[in-house]
Amino acid sequence: MSQKVCIIGGATTPFDYGATGFESIEGGAAECVKETQQDVPEFSLRDLDLMIYSHFSVHFGHQLAPEWIIHDHLGLVGLPHYRVENGGNTGGSALYAAALAVMSGHHNVVGVVGWETMDSVSQSQGSEFIAMASDIRYELMVGGIYPIYYAAMANKWMKDNKVTEEDVALIAAKNKNNAMDNPKAQWYRNDHKYITVDDVMNSRLISYPIKKLDCCLMSRGVAFLLVCSEDYAKKVNPDHYVTIDGVGLSSCTIRAGDRLNNPGWNERYGPGYPEMTEFAACRNSAEQAYKMADIKDPPKDIDFGEIHDAFSTSEAQIYKALGLANENTIAKFIRDERTSMYGDIPMNPGGGLLGYGHPVGATGIMSTIECYYQLAGMIPKKHLSKKTEVPDPQCGIVNSHAGTGTSISNFILRRK
Amino acid sequence: MMKSFLVTKNKDKFADPPKFNERKDYRPADVKETGLSFVGHEISEDRTVINQFLHYDQLYTIRHGWNSRFFIGLLDGKIMGTRCPKCGDSWVPVRTHCWNLNCKLQKTEWVEMPLTAKVHTWTIAGWSGRSSLKRLPIILVYASIGTSKVAMANELHGINPWDVEFGMPLKIVFKPKEQRVGAVIDFHFEPVDFWKPSPMNEEKQRIKDLVTPVYEWVKTLK
Ligand SMILES: [Zn+2]
Repeated sequence: MSQKVCIIGGATTPFDYGATGFESIEGGAAECVKETQQDVPEFSLRDLDLMIYSHFSVHFGHQLAPEWIIHDHLGLVGLPHYRVENGGNTGGSALYAAALAVMSGHHNVVGVVGWETMDSVSQSQGSEFIAMASDIRYELMVGGIYPIYYAAMANKWMKDNKVTEEDVALIAAKNKNNAMDNPKAQWYRNDHKYITVDDVMNSRLISYPIKKLDCCLMSRGVAFLLVCSEDYAKKVNPDHYVTIDGVGLSSCTIRAGDRLNNPGWNERYGPGYPEMTEFAACRNSAEQAYKMADIKDPPKDIDFGEIHDAFSTSEAQIYKALGLANENTIAKFIRDERTSMYGDIPMNPGGGLLGYGHPVGATGIMSTIECYYQLAGMIPKKHLSKKTEVPDPQCGIVNSHAGTGTSISNFILRRK
Repeated sequence: MMKSFLVTKNKDKFADPPKFNERKDYRPADVKETGLSFVGHEISEDRTVINQFLHYDQLYTIRHGWNSRFFIGLLDGKIMGTRCPKCGDSWVPVRTHCWNLNCKLQKTEWVEMPLTAKVHTWTIAGWSGRSSLKRLPIILVYASIGTSKVAMANELHGINPWDVEFGMPLKIVFKPKEQRVGAVIDFHFEPVDFWKPSPMNEEKQRIKDLVTPVYEWVKTLK
């Protein structure tokens, strides 16, 4: 019964904080579907047999079950629909659900709409809302916001792996500069400048070792992705479809401090892992996806990726969790700029969360769309130049990440 | 009549509800539950776009249930942990059932922890949520308390931000009794009395340079 899962199209609204031009969520979703219809004229909304909605927090949306507004607006009454919520990994989890739906053979054409409207509240209030996904009984009001928890994890990780502030600043500059080639990216639309390692090093302290330019952006944005069976892909978009060859989803503790001595991880990976430093759920879900997609040597078999760089430090930690480098090679892996557009495994050519933006429910969908564009040869059409086009890519990885590493998914996409 | 009869009947079947005989309300005078209300709007010059301001103010009741002894412990100046009688693992923050799958969700027992801890990792926050801005810079540490198998986040006071170290020994200090609210903000960490900072080095200087503007910025907050 199990059938191959494909992606045949998708689009995002511009990501921004404040006005984007598509002020309503249902209006934004409609524009994303229309852009997809222009790319795939044979696709009709009538072909959909399931809609999955990807949205993190109704605190930002001031509306319970807001997916009902979008679904109704798209004219899809009668079609089954539900919402997936899984923190920062909401988009990845929605994609996981869509992939399973098609894989099962029960559905053939699944639309995924993701969004967040984080500019409904002030930035500092927004940070506190996100912090409510920490364990508020034990963590709210002590330090209080996610960058601080990430900084505490990264500080020890960087020392254990001999990675410096300058090393991770390279990653921050890379992603924001990649975003300068992407007209929908928030960094392009607002800050609009190329930056250097020194700019990152000199930006204001958020939480040591993380500075302002090491952090992603709070955003408003909507994204739409079209997931389907191979039969349907061959029918409506035979020249520009990609296959999802591997999927993986894993979990870790809500409080980062509870990862020490955790019997669940001791059992899988032996004592002393993941410490408070490694993203075990990333390693675990990557292993699942690699096995399914027959990836034996990740840095060789994977050509590029769109990964969850909420902080430059997390991108570095993710490299290691994905098996691209180990504790002895990670610092050199970063310094050799192997993940830049000139490197052998470019990461976040679309700008990532640091450059494109991070409207939580739309983020994992955005990463998947950028990965799809690369594999389907659509970058010259979607970006401003070929500077951010990966040369002749065959295989890409999409990574979506939640909490303090509490839920993480990985997907292997291949060109068809 | 029928309805109230049924309610009484159902109540007889279950355990007695707790009788709450100590109640404190320390919310600031300006915090009021007004529910949902439209409180304003703005319209663009060309009158094509409107933003509306919706105010929503809600009091939540966090029912701590089986975790309650930890939070009541804070009011009494104690750190209460839990311990599994089967495998011996213990925790702060507490678990009411063991995390070890072999223990088959064994109910744990309460243990009072010593007021000592050890730094596992740390960071210096120069930015935070709205309610914490005036306390910046904040040293946040994850520290293991007593025999706890896990680390707990809280602030470290009584030390320059650049002097914090991995593995440093800490004591737990509670706020004066009348200021406690039964939440983790009732206590913080401080270095133990015999602890002395190591000499200035390159990293400490870097941290000092990063936090200096934070001190200046906080002075400008009203
Ligand atoms: Zn046990």
